[in-house]
Amino acid sequence: MPHGDPEDKRARFEALALPLMGVLYNTALRLTRASEDAADLVQETFLRAYRTFENFRPGTNGKAWLFTILYSVFVNRWKRARREAGPIPPDELEERFQRFVEVAPGADEEAGKTEAWGERWPPEVEAALRALPEAFRAAVLFVDVQELSYEEAAAVLRCPVGTLRSRLFRGRRLLFASLQEYAREAGYLRPVN
Amino acid sequence: MLTTGNHPGDELQQLLDGRLEAERRAQVEAHLAVCARCRRELAALRWVTAAVRKGLPERDVPAAVAAGVAAALDGADRAARRRRPAWVIGLALAAAAVLVVLVTRGGAPDVVAAAAEELARYRAADLPLQLETGDPRALERLIARSTLRFPVRVFDFGMMGYRLAGGGAHRLAGRRSALFAYEDAGGRRVVCQMYEGRITELPAGAERREHDGIQFRIYRTAGLTLVFWQEGDVVCVLASDGDPEEAVQLAYAKAIKE
Repeated sequence: MPHGDPEDKRARFEALALPLMGVLYNTALRLTRASEDAADLVQETFLRAYRTFENFRPGTNGKAWLFTILYSVFVNRWKRARREAGPIPPDELEERFQRFVEVAPGADEEAGKTEAWGERWPPEVEAALRALPEAFRAAVLFVDVQELSYEEAAAVLRCPVGTLRSRLFRGRRLLFASLQEYAREAGYLRPVN
Repeated sequence: MLTTGNHPGDELQQLLDGRLEAERRAQVEAHLAVCARCRRELAALRWVTAAVRKGLPERDVPAAVAAGVAAALDGADRAARRRRPAWVIGLALAAAAVLVVLVTRGGAPDVVAAAAEELARYRAADLPLQLETGDPRALERLIARSTLRFPVRVFDFGMMGYRLAGGGAHRLAGRRSALFAYEDAGGRRVVCQMYEGRITELPAGAERREHDGIQFRIYRTAGLTLVFWQEGDVVCVLASDGDPEEAVQLAYAKAIKE
């Protein structure tokens, strides 16, 4: 819709987008993993969003619309240029996850004590998320951190919902595997009995 | 009915996220009652999802980022007020597209094509400038506050009849660049950019010239001329829609031997 008076357009755009600058910036940081790139990514996202504001349908999810633009800019400008080099190869993380779930009965561990973490999260979670390969990181980022629906996240990533679901599944498993040692040492995973 | 040898896999995740139909959910829950492996897998998924959902630390938006966004929107507003008819934009972009096609034959086209497109967008009043100014020093001060890691000098083409219109920190085919835009009284336009790189990375198909010991690579087509040269670790490109030879002379006048 938005047409007509340019000042009115600017006001409506700012009312929608400016309150979301923080989530866009933090998402950009987690995608690019560099504050300079995140700043550029946010600026380009706002500019593109403003110039295509006519395409936004009022009443739909403005955050998802802005994320769609942000991710498109990221893919076009940054993704190909950045090497994916997490500290632990995904295959090794997958093996760790399998070892965790396949441990013999009787050696069970509890893995549900997140309440005990309090309000402040340790930096290990952030670091482990940033170390995930981009496709899985983006799925976890948009569904778990930004709480988009599967359908909205799939639209942002321009992939089928089934693809989003499998990336999310793998991303969560890899994230758990990379945090497992830390969680155990910190007492968040405890043997049952 | 699921058996212990037939694990539900990513349906555990859908159970966790409340996306299973009631009948299927009952089947998966029945499986969980008899399968320690899947209970552990579900517990792991629940744990990590809660860990992320509970809230990661959020950084405040730096003031410079917010200011950059405001400046970009201001630039877009100014460009919209000057906007030319769609057919002018179409012609300009078509000219750039011809150049893209031509240089693509020679190899990676990104920088050449992108520089041509930026000129086309500027001609079409479709390239927002971070700062609109006729003062090269003001533009240098703005760029010095940006995240560019190389020293930038804004060319002054005043003696050649081109007036600085503005510019700022930019990106050229994904590379950080400094961009300066000019126009003359006859409506001809020049867009210069500087970025870290080597002219040896440019695609084939360029005319090569040497002037005062400096190597130049020149691409020409469809009324656009692009002249590249090296200054230290920085590549400079001058894109012009004016007379092709004049564009080369402008580059000769401003190039500094590394």
